[in-house]
Amino acid sequence: MNADLMSTIENVQRESSASGILDLLYAAIDQYGFQKFIISGLPDRGMDVRPFVLLSGWDDEWYERYTSLGYVHLDPVARHCFGTTLPFDWSDAPYDQEADLPARRVMEEARDFGMDQGLCVPIHMEGGMQGVVSLVGKTEHLDDKSRLELHMLALYVHGRLRFINANDPNGAPRRAITRREAEILKWVASGKTANEIAGITGLTARTINQHCENAQKRLGTNNRLHTVVEAIRHKLITL
Amino acid sequence: MRVHIVREPADRQSRDLLEHNYRLRHKVFVERQGWEALRRPDGRDVDDFDNEDATHILITDGKDVVGGSRITPLDRPNLLQTVFYGLVQEDLPADPSLGADWTRFYVRPDRREGRRRAPESAALFCSVMEYALREGFSYITFVSSIYMLEHGTAVGWRITPLGRPQSIDGKPTLAAWIEVSEDALDNVRRATGMRQALISGQGHFSAIGNSLIP
Repeated sequence: MNADLMSTIENVQRESSASGILDLLYAAIDQYGFQKFIISGLPDRGMDVRPFVLLSGWDDEWYERYTSLGYVHLDPVARHCFGTTLPFDWSDAPYDQEADLPARRVMEEARDFGMDQGLCVPIHMEGGMQGVVSLVGKTEHLDDKSRLELHMLALYVHGRLRFINANDPNGAPRRAITRREAEILKWVASGKTANEIAGITGLTARTINQHCENAQKRLGTNNRLHTVVEAIRHKLITL
Repeated sequence: MRVHIVREPADRQSRDLLEHNYRLRHKVFVERQGWEALRRPDGRDVDDFDNEDATHILITDGKDVVGGSRITPLDRPNLLQTVFYGLVQEDLPADPSLGADWTRFYVRPDRREGRRRAPESAALFCSVMEYALREGFSYITFVSSIYMLEHGTAVGWRITPLGRPQSIDGKPTLAAWIEVSEDALDNVRRATGMRQALISGQGHFSAIGNSLIP
């Protein structure tokens, strides 16, 4: 085995912070000629990707644009992750260049940000959840051995970040809502209006609405119904 | 759900569990995953390592076996150092008497469908680590698709490859070892939400999920 890779793997598994992983990964992928990366879960259709992002090594401007405009649902590279278990070059992600204009726009904009080539490693988690480690850089010089090493590195880093995130009291709230928000969402789920919930809890309707909006932001959802559905789905509230 | 630790020679009840286990293994590894070398006309997956040295960790729900794993000591004949010898280029981390080989991990296929995380798989992960600690092993080896590196690392296990991954039936496959430690058990319990011991002091079985502890 490649001694550098073995020591990187060792270090990744000892690292207890996401920022430490960031530094390790920048150094490791540089050896293979890659400059930037993103590590994320892939949300179901229509959902905000931001709560799923494990670690971003992208430029802030592109990250903002990509995440706030819902590009993850248009991006052929992200979409192709659902269809394969093996790493692939971005240029091999299939899409209809003539008909699929949104996909083309994402690819072209990425190019304008200096991200025209890359290697994508799909991550299949238990229970059918889907994730991705995507590396930015040229791929034509990679041999099979390097590709396999990058595949392993991606799996280690993704797994370690999931572990760190689940255990970090500051990292966990990606998916978490406050106890108050959970209580209010339960009333919403049972069909109560903000005014009715205000009557029950002794809070004002304005505060109730604020709590709902906060929960919405935390979960990256689009409206109140969506928030309740996601809260139930992720077992943040039980009915 | 319950965890059963079964060894040969098995008593009557364990015998039934083992039979159920062999049939399920054939379904999973031969019929679904296409591991043709294991195919047998009687529809039971039984190989040379299902002997007195093997320990079977089985999960049942009611009368049904819903998941299982096999543990073989590394100082006895085992799968890793025979069939999968070609995947091993590095030394084992310690004397073989301190290690065990984890094989035939499965969850009954219908238990995986449409669920975010199969509790059967979580129970097996926890039970295997608990068993290894209890038996005094310091590492567990395994051969699997390389995706296990992600799944294992995500529950806080330290995993070291024993060699370069190779493509077997189109799947990147590798041999590796998992460090056995109190931390590893603690981490997998926290990651899976399984707080209590699954294997009772007598070593037979215990209930999961419906315990009296609040």
